[in-house]
Amino acid sequence: MLAAALRKRAWRVLAGVVFFAAAASLPFVTTPFYVRVGQLVLFSSALGLAWTLLGGFAGYWSFGHAAFIGLGAFAAGIFEVELMKGQPWLGFALGLLVGAGLSALAAAVVAWPILRLRGIYFAVAMLGISQVLAELNNNIDMFKGSMGLVLPRLSAFGLRPEALYFYLLLIATILITILAFAIQHSRIGAGLMAIREDEDTARMLGVPTERYKVTMFIASAALTGALGVIYAHSLGYITTSSVYRTEFSLNMIVYNLLGGIGTLIGPFLGSAIMVILTQVVLGRLLSIHMFVTGALLVLLVLVAPKGITGLVRALRQRWSAR
Amino acid sequence: MTLSRRSMVQLAGGAALAAPAIHTASAQATKTITFGGSVPLSGGAAETGLNVNNGYKTAVQFINEQGGVEIAGTRYKLDLKLFDDASDPSRAVNLIQRQLDDGVDFFLGSFGSNIVLPTAAVTERAEKPMVQAGGGSDQIFGQGYKYVFGMFPRATRQFLSTAAFIKTLAPAVKNYSVIFTNDAFSKTAAQGVMNAMKDQGIPMLESYSFPETITDASSVLASIRAKTPEALICMTHDQDNLLIAKQMIATGTNVNLLFQGLGPQLGSFRDTLGKAANGIYFQTYWDERAPLKDRFFGTPKDFAAYYRKNNTRPIAYHVSAGAACIVTYIEAMMAAKSIDPVKVRDALASIDVMTQYSRIKFTEQGDGDPVIMGPWVGQVVANAPEVVSPANAKTAPYTYPTPAWSQRS
Amino acid sequence: MLALQTIADGLVLGGLYALSAVGFSLIFGVMGVVNLSHGALVMIGAYLAWFFWHALGLDPLVTIPVVMLCLGAFGYVYQRGLIQLAVDRSSHVASMLVTFGVALMLRNTLVLVFSPDLRSITPSYSGHPLLLGGIVIDPVRLAALGASLVLLGTLAVILSRSRMGRVIRATAQQELAARLCGVNAHHVYGLTFAVAAAFAGAAGAILGIVLPFSPPDEGLWTLNAFVVVTLGGVGSPQGALLGGLLLGVMATGTSQLIGPAFPNAMMFAVLVAMLLIRPSGLLGNAFAGSR
Repeated sequence: MLAAALRKRAWRVLAGVVFFAAAASLPFVTTPFYVRVGQLVLFSSALGLAWTLLGGFAGYWSFGHAAFIGLGAFAAGIFEVELMKGQPWLGFALGLLVGAGLSALAAAVVAWPILRLRGIYFAVAMLGISQVLAELNNNIDMFKGSMGLVLPRLSAFGLRPEALYFYLLLIATILITILAFAIQHSRIGAGLMAIREDEDTARMLGVPTERYKVTMFIASAALTGALGVIYAHSLGYITTSSVYRTEFSLNMIVYNLLGGIGTLIGPFLGSAIMVILTQVVLGRLLSIHMFVTGALLVLLVLVAPKGITGLVRALRQRWSAR
Repeated sequence: MTLSRRSMVQLAGGAALAAPAIHTASAQATKTITFGGSVPLSGGAAETGLNVNNGYKTAVQFINEQGGVEIAGTRYKLDLKLFDDASDPSRAVNLIQRQLDDGVDFFLGSFGSNIVLPTAAVTERAEKPMVQAGGGSDQIFGQGYKYVFGMFPRATRQFLSTAAFIKTLAPAVKNYSVIFTNDAFSKTAAQGVMNAMKDQGIPMLESYSFPETITDASSVLASIRAKTPEALICMTHDQDNLLIAKQMIATGTNVNLLFQGLGPQLGSFRDTLGKAANGIYFQTYWDERAPLKDRFFGTPKDFAAYYRKNNTRPIAYHVSAGAACIVTYIEAMMAAKSIDPVKVRDALASIDVMTQYSRIKFTEQGDGDPVIMGPWVGQVVANAPEVVSPANAKTAPYTYPTPAWSQRS
Repeated sequence: MLALQTIADGLVLGGLYALSAVGFSLIFGVMGVVNLSHGALVMIGAYLAWFFWHALGLDPLVTIPVVMLCLGAFGYVYQRGLIQLAVDRSSHVASMLVTFGVALMLRNTLVLVFSPDLRSITPSYSGHPLLLGGIVIDPVRLAALGASLVLLGTLAVILSRSRMGRVIRATAQQELAARLCGVNAHHVYGLTFAVAAAFAGAAGAILGIVLPFSPPDEGLWTLNAFVVVTLGGVGSPQGALLGGLLLGVMATGTSQLIGPAFPNAMMFAVLVAMLLIRPSGLLGNAFAGSR
């Protein structure tokens, strides 16, 4: 199935490889600011992809994925600070596992009950979970959310920090993209899409809906947790409000919706547009950038309700019909 | 309403800036020193952010009106390039990086350790100084950074003078309780309260922590009525402080001494409470009547007069501190006879000058010297903020114990 | 005595929660739209009331009708002009993003017009504690509770007795059938949104006299509405009232028993638990949103 999918999409796969290769040269050809913008685009794309495993493929829109960013960041951070003194890279590598593992565990605990909820109820329950975790992280001293956590500094090959995290995020994004592609074109991917279209019918036809949903939820949470670990290191110091941000949860949806939900290129297009818009174009505005961002969001939903990919498809259809 | 007009101007300015502009502009007759950095203008800290921003702008405007400054024989105009970080750390870091790439050499800081620390890591690496009037929590000054300076002493040291003052009160204060918000600054500040009070030998009854947003303080106040301390110390945000005070009045919760770190300094706070505000203790870093002299502004009174001529927004100590950030930079540049950021940093580290805000002297870690730049104890008297301690800055006698809410006049 | 005091404090707080959530509940129940700009509408109400009080010296309880009228008109236009478009072109979930975008715009506008400063309204009757058998009650909060109850009662009567209420309920239950009976569904949705926005505005005016407020608070009131509605049940003033009062008591109780840092955590934990146990809320109504 996967081999056939690869052959059928040979051009797109090639384009993806070229894109990532080109991206890898970014730190050599541009200023640190644009490397940081690139870093944020990659982080956001990877988040969008991790979200879409459940949200885009199965149609379960989570409004609380920031919970896993926060959980991953603080789990790894506390682990590294308490147990891995003096070994930053080993600590980071294990920290990635700890962060991803704890997020996966948390997802596994809530998965069975919460995935029975559908549509807006699932979305709201996830929002609730992320709020509970954020409040607990901030108000229980042991979790260090309010005082904050200074993470061990990483360095390698004499790279500037922004270039280092750019490459770490690039690797993470490539891995997540490959994983998402493999899932999309596997049996489970087909099952997820059946769930998205009509869950009851899918179950009647013998799709193990529960198992698929739970697996994807856990995978999505683990990947988001790992991304949270990298993000926390790139900031160097985190408090509850730097990682448990409701904006993250909403942005993951915005990127997908803007790019085209259920596609792999969607999160890339969406996050590139949003990040460049908010940080590069509107970055210097002092007091109205929030207004402009909001207005653009409204416009996007109205003008391109199926995202950029949907818009392109519609235009192409109109063009070929002529 | 004036704000909306200004933002229109900023919009126009922002559009013009889309082309890289900073260096080309300085090629003209007078050279320009640009200050960069972020202020929070849309998140929870926006009120203070606006005050500090007004301080920066006042200093830049005033100095430019005087024809700029002369440093080592060259005349410079000042320029400000600030952006809104929206309390988002990655946004703040990115936009600071952009200013670095654009060639900005001197930075002004934001609020909250979760913004200040990541941005300071970037400016520190680039060896550019950051003088800030927003981040006071101890973590900022415990990283071994050499380029970060703060206009306030670190949070754990901010209560020393107040605790010493409380110790002198008669009848003696026998115990206290403390309320604080669960964020890095308030929490370290509360830790400072506990340490300082312990040193003075005053025992604590109870400590209460609040989450970042509250809509109700009634149950804490019920506990306080059941177990009433003589002094109640609030290390909470100004919005929470106002809520606590309002609910204390409305439920007749009385203590001999109510101290609120932030809030009573602001006119809107005092107006809301009316005569009930009288007697509330607070700390302040600045008073218009203080006997200080600034190279540019003259006395604090002159500074306030100039500010009021150009702004309708009431003055607050953060305005003065913001202006002092700029003036301190200029003083350091004059002392270093250079605008090389590394030399200016060294001059900042050893600076000892008078400004309209305070005498400026930093500790080795970069925060304000706790004695020289420490806060004064203030009390609201006749709905105005007065300094009641120390003796050399005193503007009014203090009242203790404070009368019950219903008997205040 | 402390227990009674805690319950009394909770009930008084709960009235405010209930009123602040009822508009959110109505929109969700009738249209299935999650209005993330709900808190922003509440804040507009608070600022309008503040403006009338500050500029003209009018008491917020007196200006509530004016505030409601302003927000009702705004709500009608907002629904017909934006939300209906988004729902038609995309989906209900996507319309949520539109409301999020509008929330950002409204918050930014409030900051620009009223500055980010803390505002607060002090009515003439504030500041004299009422003593009821050893329990201390803030008269302002009591007035707020009274006003909330009156407003919620009025809404309940409008929905169950008036022609407009019947049409709204009919459309919520069966849009197609209602259309066949000659109901202009889009107009009804506009009206529902107008009513919801008006009540959000009223809640804002009342919270203005109880709490100090600033524009970023809008997020808080949206989240609170979520919890109240999930707790009480969607689409009815009764559900909002029950949810609000329960939430109020839970908040003060948690603060007293577990610690003042934890009411928010408890609120959201209850939200999640409630969704899992009984997603339609305690007084579950089978409106469009809950199907």
